[in-house]
Amino acid sequence: MGLNSGDEMFVKEIKAGNAMAFEAMVLKYQPKLMSSLIGYTKSKDQAEELCQKTFIRVWQKIDSFRGDSALFTWIYRIGINLAKNDFSSSHNKKSKITESLDQAEYDVPQHLSPEAELIAEESEKKVMDFIHSLDGDTKSAFMLREIDGRSYEEIAVIANCPIGTVRSRIFRARQLILEFMNQENIIND
Amino acid sequence: MTKELEKLSALYDGEINKGDFQENIARLNKDPQLKKTFNRYGLISDLVQRNAKKQESKVILLSNYFTRLHPMATNAITAAATVFITLIVLYQLDDDRFQVDADSSLQLSSAISSDQAKNQLLNADQNIVEHMIHIMQSNQSHNPQPLSKDWIPVGFSVNPSNPSQYSNGRNNLYFHVENKQLGLKKVKYFKANNNWIYLIPLEDGRLLTAYGDVPPTVANKMIQSINQRK
Repeated sequence: MGLNSGDEMFVKEIKAGNAMAFEAMVLKYQPKLMSSLIGYTKSKDQAEELCQKTFIRVWQKIDSFRGDSALFTWIYRIGINLAKNDFSSSHNKKSKITESLDQAEYDVPQHLSPEAELIAEESEKKVMDFIHSLDGDTKSAFMLREIDGRSYEEIAVIANCPIGTVRSRIFRARQLILEFMNQENIIND
Repeated sequence: MTKELEKLSALYDGEINKGDFQENIARLNKDPQLKKTFNRYGLISDLVQRNAKKQESKVILLSNYFTRLHPMATNAITAAATVFITLIVLYQLDDDRFQVDADSSLQLSSAISSDQAKNQLLNADQNIVEHMIHIMQSNQSHNPQPLSKDWIPVGFSVNPSNPSQYSNGRNNLYFHVENKQLGLKKVKYFKANNNWIYLIPLEDGRLLTAYGDVPPTVANKMIQSINQRK
């Protein structure tokens, strides 16, 4: 799988040194990376630290990203490699090492990673049940985007509707899910 | 505000032109509430994608049981789990609509795109998927429940070494009866290549699960017999 079309503009801008685009990308992928790293380390604190290190490394190495894989796959690989190094170092030395990331050499954006917000396992089913209860058109557009990674254009062809309608349906799904999560105190504003 | 948030959602998906990209990135950077919303879109993506993976792994497990059951018939299924997912189709049957013949079934399968089929499967009740896995795991049942002879399709007879298995010499059908109905009110059946799983809620509150390489044209008689008892 190559570069997801949804990330092309982010990658291009980050390569050009756009720190705001980088921060948006961090906001986008931080939950997924955290979830993967928690799965790997079994520790939220360690995962948060690794998550931060990973994004610093991404900022440093973005020029070496050729787009052969999806952007998140590349980020994930960096994160897992850092976790492995961290693990073997702590395993060998019986203490955690502090990796030098040469931050001074790079103009690393300050706000790298917001405090990780996690969804409790018991709440996940509630959210999934809610998603399944969405009306067919809204659910279908949202699932085709989120699970299949389809572009809006492809979804428009499948659903036989204009691209603008696809965009509205996906947005509507996200808003309804967020409202539900707020109502159920799964997230808090 | 709604239009602005809709643009944020499109930005999240990278479905925005360059001008709007710069404008919305700048807006996002200035507004902590927008940042939170954008980050939560990521939280939702992660949750949905992880759940889809869990369901996929259950389907892979299910396909493995099919392989054990009919190794020759399911080579195509095992070629790739994703192929299996795109081939499986979920039908929900009304009692009065069960007259499905092989041709119309085939047409229906062709009409449903793989994406739709996949979504249908992913949207299927998790309990049902778990039930099917459980049934496959207990294929060689040690305590088979008595089966009504009305449920057995014409020409099928029991395998003496496995009281749950019936065969007509060419096709096999396995039965399980359990004391739960998983909220099913109607007959549901799943198809994967030449294999079918029928979930039939019985009047007495139990659930009859029948599976094997028996198409609806043959299984129809079984369902009709069960329905006629009502």
